[in-house]
Amino acid sequence: MSITVLEAGLQTTVQADARLGMRHLGVPTSGAADALSLALANRLVGNDLLAPALEVTLVGPTLRFDAPCSFALTGGNAKSTLNGDEVQFHQTVIANAGDELAIASIEIGMRIYIAFGGGLQAATMLGSASTYLPAAFGGHQGRALIEDDILQTSGDGVVAEVLQTPEEFRPPISPRWAARACRSVETHLLAKPRASVLFETNWTIGRRADRMGMQLDGATLGVSSAGRMPSSPVFPGTIQCPEDGVPFVLSVDSGTTGGYPRIAQIARADRHLLGQMRPGDHLRFLPREPQEAIDELHAKHDYWRQWLPGIESVI
Amino acid sequence: MPSNDNERYPVEACGDDLITIGVRSPAEAQSLVEALRETGAWREVVAGIASVVVQFDATTIPVDGASERIRDLLAKGISPIGLSDVLFEIPVEYGGEFGPDFDDVCRQTGLSGEELIALHTGREYRVDLVGFTPGFAYVGGLDDKLNVARRDSPRQRVEAGSVGIADGRTGLYALPGPGGWPLIGRTAFRLFDPSADDPFPIRAGMRVRFISTGDVEAGS
Repeated sequence: MSITVLEAGLQTTVQADARLGMRHLGVPTSGAADALSLALANRLVGNDLLAPALEVTLVGPTLRFDAPCSFALTGGNAKSTLNGDEVQFHQTVIANAGDELAIASIEIGMRIYIAFGGGLQAATMLGSASTYLPAAFGGHQGRALIEDDILQTSGDGVVAEVLQTPEEFRPPISPRWAARACRSVETHLLAKPRASVLFETNWTIGRRADRMGMQLDGATLGVSSAGRMPSSPVFPGTIQCPEDGVPFVLSVDSGTTGGYPRIAQIARADRHLLGQMRPGDHLRFLPREPQEAIDELHAKHDYWRQWLPGIESVI
Repeated sequence: MPSNDNERYPVEACGDDLITIGVRSPAEAQSLVEALRETGAWREVVAGIASVVVQFDATTIPVDGASERIRDLLAKGISPIGLSDVLFEIPVEYGGEFGPDFDDVCRQTGLSGEELIALHTGREYRVDLVGFTPGFAYVGGLDDKLNVARRDSPRQRVEAGSVGIADGRTGLYALPGPGGWPLIGRTAFRLFDPSADDPFPIRAGMRVRFISTGDVEAGS
């Protein structure tokens, strides 16, 4: 079953599971920036939770189904239509041959996920089908979609069961975020007496926000790193602060080593939230000890397992 | 565990699923990465210049258990990894449009172009670390005369194959992208080739020598 790209949108890529176990060779994790929303979309069309699907960024694409196909939308809010009729998020929709799905600009949140029955065919590279744009591999020819691309689904594309995400499993997406975070290796380099300012500031997501990471505005932190730091491992969710005092958070496509002080680490349970934060949104950090954060991760898994069995592979 | 091991190799949580281990050299880091990877117990094991960070799956390994396993392994000691037998000769075109900071590095170091090239090509180096982006190589052992700082502001775009020097190391840019190292040349050698059987021809511990391809600068 094929899907033709009529309009590509701002940055629409094929994303699937994280590319794990390759960071020692400089290969970032990639995968859906908001893996929970990817899993919710795949659930509605009967796919594996991390099957290849489309990740839409800020401005959506227009797609034409060349044969009947089931699909589902999750993530940020945008006016979305199938042949001009509004399409609901969080439910299985069956498109007919020739139908056109148009997704407008995202109004709340940063990314939308479109999953298709059977999942998209994609190039597996280094263990994952996810697109990594800087090295141009994975996904659809290693790049964001362009007009006239033709995507293929695995299988015939139509699923038997029509589902809706229960209300209690639709993640709230708003311009205000809170993320739990632990100390990191160079937290002690934050200049006293205002070392706690990281957790007291209502941060604003800066203009530069992408799959690599995002800058935080709202306060200038003092760091005493004496200029040069040895390059050290960093991960999605690592918060670094260069000499200029403006911290930034790393996301799924970030490099694997960095030379700026690592002042905090967002807890595993909340890293998927980074995928929905957009410039201008507000973000607060909640301090956690590692064990507390892990206990909360287990609780979060227990909750989500009710609708998404296998959630441990997602968040 | 004996406390002196923890002083020798400090182990510390740096997140709810991350543990950092301090080491004294890139060669120790590489050796520790191999030992940790062999256990198959970890999601990621990543070397830095002076540390190794382990990411574990907190749904299968408790935080304390993860630290304990690492300390047990450290208690056996670490032998810094030896140099590999593989010697890579990397052709570099120095200066001109491929090395936009070449002249500036000459000024900073007080060297002529010929001297700079002679120093940079005049010894064998060791790959300390592959990281940052796929195939980016941190090559250690630069002559002290070539010790320059990073640029005050990074370039928005550095071309693939660019050769930079900073802080006593040569950095080889495998991919185009932003970068802050002063650039002295460029290589046509593919540091990362996703279509090859082994996309990563350069690994930590390998020996490297730079070969000047042109006599553009040296002859002028």
